[in-house]
Amino acid sequence: MAQESLLVSAFYLLVFTAVLITYRVLRGPTLPDRVVGLNTVTTKVVVIIALVSVMREEYYLIDLAIVLLMVNSVGGLILAKYMERRGRSGT
Amino acid sequence: MGPEVLVLLFGEAVMVFGALGIIRFPDVYTRLHAATKCDTGGAMSIILYLVLTMDAPALVRAKFLVLAFLIAMMNPMVSHAIARAAYRYGVIPKVVVDMYAWDNP
Repeated sequence: MAQESLLVSAFYLLVFTAVLITYRVLRGPTLPDRVVGLNTVTTKVVVIIALVSVMREEYYLIDLAIVLLMVNSVGGLILAKYMERRGRSGT
Repeated sequence: MGPEVLVLLFGEAVMVFGALGIIRFPDVYTRLHAATKCDTGGAMSIILYLVLTMDAPALVRAKFLVLAFLIAMMNPMVSHAIARAAYRYGVIPKVVVDMYAWDNP
């Protein structure tokens, strides 16, 4: 059916953009670049999990996506706090 | 196949251009601009398409809507925190006028 192939193409395109952003994570010039790349990749993984849960009709995966989004946001805040304190003590 | 496909195509286009912006932009703050667009707008569009077209119980659709709401609340907050932390970390923005430095000497 047409809907299934549309979702599969969306899945592959999201994986392709995540691989593109991995370049920025691996060789970002500074630490905030890597943090930005990690946050974007993790949000893309959340969307990929939602797509897979609709494609395979296993709807318990959406709870996993919600928990991953929360962990990602809290981890981003912790990394921001770490960068802020490290910069202030360095200067 | 109906007009809901346009929502999915919009989300995919925002994702691709956000990835290109993250690769090609010259600075942390401009990269953060592209990343915030592709996180919030693209992800919410794709999840809205899933809610519109899937055949599932109402509780599952409510969970997807909760996920979209959480993305809309949390991603701008994290982006704001990372921008301020990057400035305090010592990354100098490549701009002519730095109004944040005027207010916080």
